[in-house]
Amino acid sequence: MIGRFFFVSLFMALFCSSVLAAEPVKPAASGTPNTTVQAATVAAPAAQPVAATAAKPIEAPKVAVPALNKVRPNRGITIGMFGVIIAITLGVVVWAAKKTTTASDFYAAGGGVTGLQNGWAIAGDYMSAASFLGMSGLISLYGIDGFMYAVGPAFSFIAILLVIAEPCRNAGKFTLGDILSFRTSAKPVRAVAAVSTVTVSLFYLIAQMVGAGKLMQVLLDIPYKVSVIGVGILMVGYVVFGGMKATTWVQIIKAGLLMSGTVLLAFLVMAKAGFNPVTLFTDVVNSPQIQDHVRINLLKDAIPKEGFDYGQRFLEPGLFLKNPLDQISLGVAWALGAAGLPHILMRFFTVPSAKEARKSIVIALFINSSFFFLINLIGFGAALYLTPQLISSVDKGGNMATLLLAQLLGGGAGSLGGDIFLAFICAVAFATILAVVSGLVLAASAAIAHDVYVNIVMDGKADQHTQVKVAKITSLVVGISAIVMGLMAEKENVVAFVALAFAVAASGNFPVLILSLFWRNFNTAGVLSGLLVGTITTLGLVMVSPVMTYPQQIANGAKKIITALETKQAGGSVLNEKELKVLEKAQADFKKNDGGTSMMGLKAPLFPLKNPGLVSAPIGFIAAILGALLFREKRAEDMFDEIEVRQITGIGITKASDH
Amino acid sequence: MSEQTYDWSSIAKHPKYLELKQKKRTFLFSWWIGSTIYYFLLSLLSAYAPSLFKVKMIGVVNFGYLFILSQFVMCIVVALVYTKVANNQFDRLTDELTQSLQKEGAI
Repeated sequence: MIGRFFFVSLFMALFCSSVLAAEPVKPAASGTPNTTVQAATVAAPAAQPVAATAAKPIEAPKVAVPALNKVRPNRGITIGMFGVIIAITLGVVVWAAKKTTTASDFYAAGGGVTGLQNGWAIAGDYMSAASFLGMSGLISLYGIDGFMYAVGPAFSFIAILLVIAEPCRNAGKFTLGDILSFRTSAKPVRAVAAVSTVTVSLFYLIAQMVGAGKLMQVLLDIPYKVSVIGVGILMVGYVVFGGMKATTWVQIIKAGLLMSGTVLLAFLVMAKAGFNPVTLFTDVVNSPQIQDHVRINLLKDAIPKEGFDYGQRFLEPGLFLKNPLDQISLGVAWALGAAGLPHILMRFFTVPSAKEARKSIVIALFINSSFFFLINLIGFGAALYLTPQLISSVDKGGNMATLLLAQLLGGGAGSLGGDIFLAFICAVAFATILAVVSGLVLAASAAIAHDVYVNIVMDGKADQHTQVKVAKITSLVVGISAIVMGLMAEKENVVAFVALAFAVAASGNFPVLILSLFWRNFNTAGVLSGLLVGTITTLGLVMVSPVMTYPQQIANGAKKIITALETKQAGGSVLNEKELKVLEKAQADFKKNDGGTSMMGLKAPLFPLKNPGLVSAPIGFIAAILGALLFREKRAEDMFDEIEVRQITGIGITKASDH
Repeated sequence: MSEQTYDWSSIAKHPKYLELKQKKRTFLFSWWIGSTIYYFLLSLLSAYAPSLFKVKMIGVVNFGYLFILSQFVMCIVVALVYTKVANNQFDRLTDELTQSLQKEGAI
């Protein structure tokens, strides 16, 4: 019973610490100007200083810009499509529930998923609504920089393909902890691996929940709370009743829908351009609205520079990604982070052999690369056919670009075709959210139930019935915690959470995973120091980085606007209605935020990079290597032959169903 | 952890195993490092050689766009090459190793 008590208290501690980590930011964030829609968790640009436009006298745009401020899907059709998706997925759950009797069924679908199915499921697990909506938005507003941004998530599968997928299939069972504890002192290693898995998965999960809540709020016109709870209940239902089998099929269905939607949108964009990409880009460069957008909103040139091709500038880098080190640092997080994400890792245990694992990651990589490539056609198509002005008037971050484009290409707002296509794309986004959050809940609960409860508390001596029961209870608790945290984090800057999840995966999980598989001298001390130092460094750096909210900086920005407008007033000119509104808002922002500090008590960021990968990943590696060298462990070194032979050849492979 | 126990260290000294290990390591790490360098060239060139990215190649489509495009192509090429090498070479060597181990009664 002491074991049970320990288990419960550990869980409470994990829960509370995550809650605490999320809580204190609250008051600080309420003053942020970009509380509109943060659905694009990965790609959402940090609040752009839109204010600067007001500070300079800007020549009125020459071209008429269509005004719009909301996406209005046809409620009946949209809810109908959501209903169809819910009905199909619940059917899958009922089917899967009957077949889920052992721990291996619950965590790894009994090892009976084929390479092809798993490939689609991995893609479904990985491609988020943030990429689908946020990245095309980014491209539609910032041009080629958005496309450059899309390379990272596509490239991130290379490390999984080459050094993670097959070795992990051969050496592991259900979780990250299984691989890391192979030749080390199992209990401390599993405990730390579980903490790291839960941290990564929960942060990612909260970001997804908040994004989902905001998106559903816009699409269905329902309150934020209702949408978070609704998504949460479905997600918990899939995982608790259907385990990995249901999750896999939800992910496959989602990936199929997402790819159909993406291919269809890209096809229609190309059809409009006569299937000639050069025509599409020539039209983009020649679009007067895009030229105005680049000149006025991005480059802030009040008067056009003689002979400068503002349209061509849209196809040149530097409009969004301004700090090269930030880009490289984010690149490190992509290159190593995806390979350290527990919910992706877990998918490789569902296939029967390394050969199938290879097949699945190759298929996933094809789907993933095509998706992130096609996004660029959608993004540029949106810029051309909708105009950046319209897209940003609906949502500052551009998150609604894909949806608006679907409506337009379907036949326009109000037409039946437009309504249907928009509703379909909304449904795709909905399915996307469900698939990603389910995978995350499963990964987090596997770490708690399998690593902590079964292997630490019960010493691995738990029968199948108990294991499944515990796994279900844990999933329920994880799911409910995610809903609660999602509700509390409504006003949070969730971009920070995603940065955090990827950076912890790249700096904590990835180094110890790769060293466990490939380095003879690696051992218990190495795993512990690598995971702890990597994770804590990452958390620390993100807390003092520019992704946090700094009220003083908001106040300073507001002050600039106030000064500019007051100078104008003092100069004798009368402010128009719009300017007066801006002035009023700036004064309110200034009052609210002046003298305020971030949750770390800072007035400005201490660490210059938005993503800490460039610094934290090397620190994670060094800590892991130093830890292993300082505390040599003969047993771990002797057992290296075993893990190496297993991971290279697959000899002695423990099929998930043998357990 | 291990339900089946073999003499792992003697398998680890098997000449066929050593050949497989050597080939796999060389292939995987060189392609991994190579593709990573190519990937980081994107951030580096766009930041430190922006004029290169602006060179128009096909109509208005510039070098930058094509270079980004090539990154996606690179990912797919790596996957294809790896599949080919793994299916032809690594799987064959693994089969040969398992067969010879079975003959020797080691597994």
